[in-house]
Amino acid sequence: MNIFAAGGKLAVLAAYFKIILTYRGMLLIHGLRLLLLPMVLASAWLSIEKAPGNPYTDSDYLLYYLLVPLIMNLTDSRIVFKFSLAVKDGSLNRELLKPFPPLLGYLLESIANNTMQLLYLIPFSFAFWLFVRDRIVLAHLQPSLLIFFVAAILIGWLARLAVSGSIALLSFWIEDVTTLNLILNGGIWALLGGMIVPVATFPERIRYIAELLPYRYMLSFPIEIFSGRLSTPEIYQGFATALLWIIVFSVIMRIIWKCGLKTYTAYGG
Amino acid sequence: MQYAVTAIYISSLCLCAFVRYLVFEHDIMRQMAIIVNLWKATVIQAMEYRASFVFAIVANFFDFIFGLLQYLVFFTAAKSIAGWEADHMLVLYGVFMLVFALHFILLYPNLVAMGDMVNSGNLDLLLTKPVDSQLIISFRRISLEELGSIGTATILLGWLLYRGVIVFDIGNFLLFGVSMVSSLLLVYCVFVLLICLAVIMERLDNMSQLLWSLFALCRYPVDIYPDRIRYAFMSFLPVAFIATIPASALLGRSDSATVWHGFAMAVVAVLFCSWLWRRAIGAYTSAGG
Repeated sequence: MNIFAAGGKLAVLAAYFKIILTYRGMLLIHGLRLLLLPMVLASAWLSIEKAPGNPYTDSDYLLYYLLVPLIMNLTDSRIVFKFSLAVKDGSLNRELLKPFPPLLGYLLESIANNTMQLLYLIPFSFAFWLFVRDRIVLAHLQPSLLIFFVAAILIGWLARLAVSGSIALLSFWIEDVTTLNLILNGGIWALLGGMIVPVATFPERIRYIAELLPYRYMLSFPIEIFSGRLSTPEIYQGFATALLWIIVFSVIMRIIWKCGLKTYTAYGG
Repeated sequence: MQYAVTAIYISSLCLCAFVRYLVFEHDIMRQMAIIVNLWKATVIQAMEYRASFVFAIVANFFDFIFGLLQYLVFFTAAKSIAGWEADHMLVLYGVFMLVFALHFILLYPNLVAMGDMVNSGNLDLLLTKPVDSQLIISFRRISLEELGSIGTATILLGWLLYRGVIVFDIGNFLLFGVSMVSSLLLVYCVFVLLICLAVIMERLDNMSQLLWSLFALCRYPVDIYPDRIRYAFMSFLPVAFIATIPASALLGRSDSATVWHGFAMAVVAVLFCSWLWRRAIGAYTSAGG
């Protein structure tokens, strides 16, 4: 089957957009929740006494946490919750009967969902930027940097999808994958991905580990590119690492999917 | 000092009057017995799914650990936050976790249940029962999954006491007790506001998420915010009194006036919320079905 034949997929994508728009209230609550924590963290970082060797200034922190909600939502993936629910309540059975690859459905849902977040993210980020614009420096921005930035968001989204997808597919065997997800996806992501602490401000050794793990590329990496603090070789190195992780996890996902389908006996109804 | 004595005197008088009112006018003992029986039923129900119960406890344990690691990671790049050093932040985290876990055990399951109760019409059934509607909706269910967090938070605070970060001082501990009570009362007020909102709007999903957003504000001391926001958090949006004030009372950094101010505010807020609930339920015309 040709993955790139548009027709049906566009229709499915449009359907997902409509489904999301039906629950606008939910979207708002979700948005509020995701905007609040970065704001709290930004205030926290603006009031710290810096540890020696921390390269970030107040302006860097402001720019960083201005972009965190944006990147966080654009690279978000809800496949763990959706897929484990589909296995539990049996709706996966219906998905399997359709002449449409079920995993592609999750990919399209993620695109629809993440793009939809821009509806409130862009006005909010703009308002916040107006508020602090005299303290943020954007003079270094060049077209090439912006292209890298967009590419990094795409890569981050794929990495997140691949890692989350691999965990989600374990629902074939494990009844409750949310605990595993909390550790591998939520916890380590928040600690070493750049949510609590920007990766660039870590001490040397922790930063090295964070740069090797895939989590940095889901959040911190695009922002580091945008802030202009990475040299071109560093950017390429980052892309290579992220791509490697995407390939590894896609292969893992494919293997799990094949084995899982064989053991899957469709409980629920 | 005199201020504190007067405040204690007045508040104990109020408390006595309130308890008298509850016992004689409100038949509180019978209602408490009903609540305890309902709690037993929910615990038995939870034990039916033992594996899922164990999973939830493990998940909550990791949640606690990751919360702790957050601060450790934070302090690799910072020496102190607005005058709070790493040890002080651990005290704040311990206090925060105590409040969070207590809310999770007592209020969270009721909030989840309330989400679809209005929508499905089950609320009408509850309102016909001869018990206080606010009491039964607030405390009908209990969830023991966060019990471990209370234990871990207590161990954390005990360790900090042992290390001398928290100095043993009866006065401070008393203030801490008072501020913990006001903190829990304030969280309860937010809970009542949310269920009122659910009654008015007839459908409100993910209310717990809204409540948790509020908790995100409490994870760091209010001293980090700009002056105007901090003023709001200390006065009409009492975020400061949920974790920051109890923690600073425990550290001996808070004066008694602030603590009693918070307590008075919490009591007024509870009375106001309960009035609001009576208004909301009075205007309720039944939905769903």
